[in-house]
Amino acid sequence: MKIEQYNMPDELHYEENHFWVKEEGDLLVMGMDDFAQIMAGEIVYVQLPDEGKKLKLGKKFAKMESGKWLGKVFAPVNGELAEVNEELETNPGLINDDCYGKGWMYKIKPADKSEIENLIHGQDAVEKWVLADIEKYAQE
Amino acid sequence: MKLYNPGKVPWDESQLIYHALAALGREALSLVSPATPYVCIGFHQDAEQEVDLDYCRANHIPVFRRDLGGGAVYLDGEQLFFQLILRKDNPLIPKKKGTFYKKFLQPIINVYRQIGIAAEYKPVNDVIVETRKISGTGAGEIGDCIVFVGNLIVDFNYKMMARVLKVPDEKLRDKVHKTLRENLSTIRRELGEKEAKQWDESSLNGLMAKEFGKLLGPMEPCEKDQELQAKIDDLRARMVNEEWLHQKGKRVAGRDVKIRAGVKVVHKMHKAPGGLIRADYEVREKRFSDVCLSGDFFCFPEEAIKWLESGLEGRPTEEAPDLLKEFYSERDIETPGIGIDDWMMVLKV
Repeated sequence: MKIEQYNMPDELHYEENHFWVKEEGDLLVMGMDDFAQIMAGEIVYVQLPDEGKKLKLGKKFAKMESGKWLGKVFAPVNGELAEVNEELETNPGLINDDCYGKGWMYKIKPADKSEIENLIHGQDAVEKWVLADIEKYAQE
Repeated sequence: MKLYNPGKVPWDESQLIYHALAALGREALSLVSPATPYVCIGFHQDAEQEVDLDYCRANHIPVFRRDLGGGAVYLDGEQLFFQLILRKDNPLIPKKKGTFYKKFLQPIINVYRQIGIAAEYKPVNDVIVETRKISGTGAGEIGDCIVFVGNLIVDFNYKMMARVLKVPDEKLRDKVHKTLRENLSTIRRELGEKEAKQWDESSLNGLMAKEFGKLLGPMEPCEKDQELQAKIDDLRARMVNEEWLHQKGKRVAGRDVKIRAGVKVVHKMHKAPGGLIRADYEVREKRFSDVCLSGDFFCFPEEAIKWLESGLEGRPTEEAPDLLKEFYSERDIETPGIGIDDWMMVLKV
């Protein structure tokens, strides 16, 4: 689904800080959505913690940087880190080039997969959420 | 808004104070300057790769990793730091990063203008005079706070800045030094020695406090209290040590030294099947400049490399693949074992 200039695929689940999540077998794949990567500009660094790191819903587990701004990445569910996209170590710009494909960031082994249902999902919900954020940013 | 204005402080405290204030969730403006020089790297950087640690050790120059963005810098008492700590939910914080930088760099621009320097904002996060940068910045999220730091540059030791960086050879170091001098200015350079002397540390800090006050509301001067000192001590134990400094940073192929937004010095090497290629150049506003290509590969005719260098000069970096295609198709040039993909390994920025 295209919401204004932002590509927000319908099938994905979204965390409120604009990270997407999707199921892949027993794991969840996570990355940054199009709205966030456009707002961030050129991404120069993504922290890739060690696999096995425990993730606590809503808590910071990694950092990333664009425009000299070091930001945080929050866990969308409880679980542990199963895999990181090693390619981002040398080429974090993959997130800008292909945020839903080659620019994926982490794979998570969820403690309870059903937690994904608490994320923003479905055309209406995603549209309402993104339009609200577009408006917040436009007010500046 | 609390104002901490202790002036000169021990080098590590000039970094630890804002980390501590943020960790305590205290909104504040801190105005400090280090009593002795040190090198400060950005959170994502690899100390070993960015800084000549042997030189720093031998010359008693400490190296510190901050928990904020931006790159490696040589800092000393001729730079006056501003450190703004705001809680994330503060309504004064714009959501867009560009708007944030523009808003909170305005006090610095105003200070420069008041002392007679025609500073301007340059997106995303620079303050410039004509084309020269005159304030360094870094930002990030620490605890529940947004932290924005930067400096007024009274004077700058260009030679030391170029010296403390790790570069593959002296030729590149000279290039970094030259490019720094061209692209980074200071109060002393802009105003001249005599005029600049009118503005001492205390008066410049006073101007910064006044200008930030216009944005943030009345400033309440504060001294370090026990809780803040304890947090500083706690963070010193955690951040002023080899383990914190040497944590894994971003590994990059080659060497990029960012001078200011839009200007960087690049050195890259690539082992192609036909031999080693070395490229040294500057990127200025997304265009190649001062390109030097060398290596141990075979090229016929020999002068073709000079043609490629001059062909790249001044051209947009994104056009490199097209330029390389033209280079090979329009002339009878042979570089056995080296193709366009190999060149792109050193020319992709």
